[in-house]
Amino acid sequence: MLELCDIHGGYGKITILNGLSFKIPKASITTMIGPNGAGKSTVFKAIFGLLNIESGHILLDGRDVTGLPPRQMIANGVTYVPQGRNIVPKLSVYHNLELGGITVADQAKVRERIETVMNQFPMLREFRNRRAIELSGGQQKQLEIARSLLLDPQLILVDEPSIGLSPNLVKDVFATLQTLRDQGVTVLMVEQNAKTALAISDYGLVLELGQARMQDEATRLLADPRVGQLFLGGHVDDATSPGR
Amino acid sequence: MSQFLQIMLSGLATGSIYALVAVGFTLIWQAAETVNFAQGEFVMLPAFFVLIGLNVLGYPLWISLLFGLVLSIVVLGVMFKKLVVEPILPSGGISLIIATIALGTFLKESVKEFYGAEAEPFPPMFPTDPINVFGAVISLQDILNLVISLGVVVLLTLFLNRTRTGRCMQATAQSPEVAEILGVNVKRMILYAFLINAALAALASFLITPVYLAKFSNGETLGLIAFIAAIVGGFNQIRGALAGGLLIGVLDNLTATYVTAEYRAALPLILLIVIILLRPQGLFGTSEGRSV
Repeated sequence: MLELCDIHGGYGKITILNGLSFKIPKASITTMIGPNGAGKSTVFKAIFGLLNIESGHILLDGRDVTGLPPRQMIANGVTYVPQGRNIVPKLSVYHNLELGGITVADQAKVRERIETVMNQFPMLREFRNRRAIELSGGQQKQLEIARSLLLDPQLILVDEPSIGLSPNLVKDVFATLQTLRDQGVTVLMVEQNAKTALAISDYGLVLELGQARMQDEATRLLADPRVGQLFLGGHVDDATSPGR
Repeated sequence: MSQFLQIMLSGLATGSIYALVAVGFTLIWQAAETVNFAQGEFVMLPAFFVLIGLNVLGYPLWISLLFGLVLSIVVLGVMFKKLVVEPILPSGGISLIIATIALGTFLKESVKEFYGAEAEPFPPMFPTDPINVFGAVISLQDILNLVISLGVVVLLTLFLNRTRTGRCMQATAQSPEVAEILGVNVKRMILYAFLINAALAALASFLITPVYLAKFSNGETLGLIAFIAAIVGGFNQIRGALAGGLLIGVLDNLTATYVTAEYRAALPLILLIVIILLRPQGLFGTSEGRSV
């Protein structure tokens, strides 16, 4: 589904990704974990065309999509839910959702999709005419995820979906991601709440210093003592990956 | 009573033209987070484009107005963005503000050098015959200026709120990063803001120059008053710019008639000081956080 091959890139002269390579299969949830500064969020920006890639290739279903701008990545079925709040604050909930389908010429189809998405997230229908800034933090995150679903994406990049959410809302968000996976959508997620995220994931990926240090089934990563050490602030000494 | 009504209507007519220019300040602020201190000269220049159409190229008035509008959109919209804003904006907002001050001086001095320093008559678009409105005598030109200016601001507001392109412009203004990840063509939306600003400035120029005559220095006062109007109303709100423009137009007339004409020029500045002290975000504006 998605393959990164020897990606080097960063911000200006600062290189963050140092030869990053990994593959994720279709209709799966993969969680990226790693210490602060490992380059987890930067990976998303590289995939979504928001970062200068110095070398390497990104393949989506075998097609080279390296460096394509966001509009073209969206057209290729990729959506991105960044870290933090990503709403247009003074527009209504409905118009925020509508923006999720801005690249689609057929507006009747967008309206139809909005109805479907509002059925999935009834809260959005209730507050459809409210300004997005008036929603709570958790509701705003649900709005962002709902908006990212508007185009029936094949791949969703989700950065820290649990930040600022109550435990119940985190459960809801993770359940939504699992449902999407069951519907054939591929999810690549970064999550500080690593143990919870790995528990609902199919695969895990450990990033360190801009490289993939380990990639395995999520259950095996959870049981790996080196990963436990990483959660406690250490680093992965052994560079060899068990692989899949 | 009829005198009061006359003063109010006349003030609203002038104020609505200030509002057009003030709305331009708001659009540029939202698009590029900068203040265009050449905005006054942006209002001065289109009148000279029309005069070139009339006196040099020999076009009739309506063709000259169209010529002036198109040339304004190209020069004050596209060229301003491409040649001034885009190269300088990465260096920071302050650099761009200084550049717009320099641009204003350049435009002013260029008109003086190549067209002349004398004030030139500018033909009105509408009849100037006086009409009677509930006993108040006011020119038809003033009434139409008011109707057209308010109509354009209403249309602009409807465009921004009721069309997809307008909402994309709002998304770009409020959260450019979010707009980009959603696939909004952010660069195009910013360009639209500059084009609309240029068109508003041209319209303001065509409406106000018949009253003030065409002169290279017209932008000095106009730019300052419109800037104050935008701040008084709320720099980040179109309705604020509209309210600020109308308020200054009316207060200016009322002061000149009932208080003193000698200090009327000081009124907008006094209003500015009062607003900054009591409500820094303006009458309709909202506070914007900035991290340093």
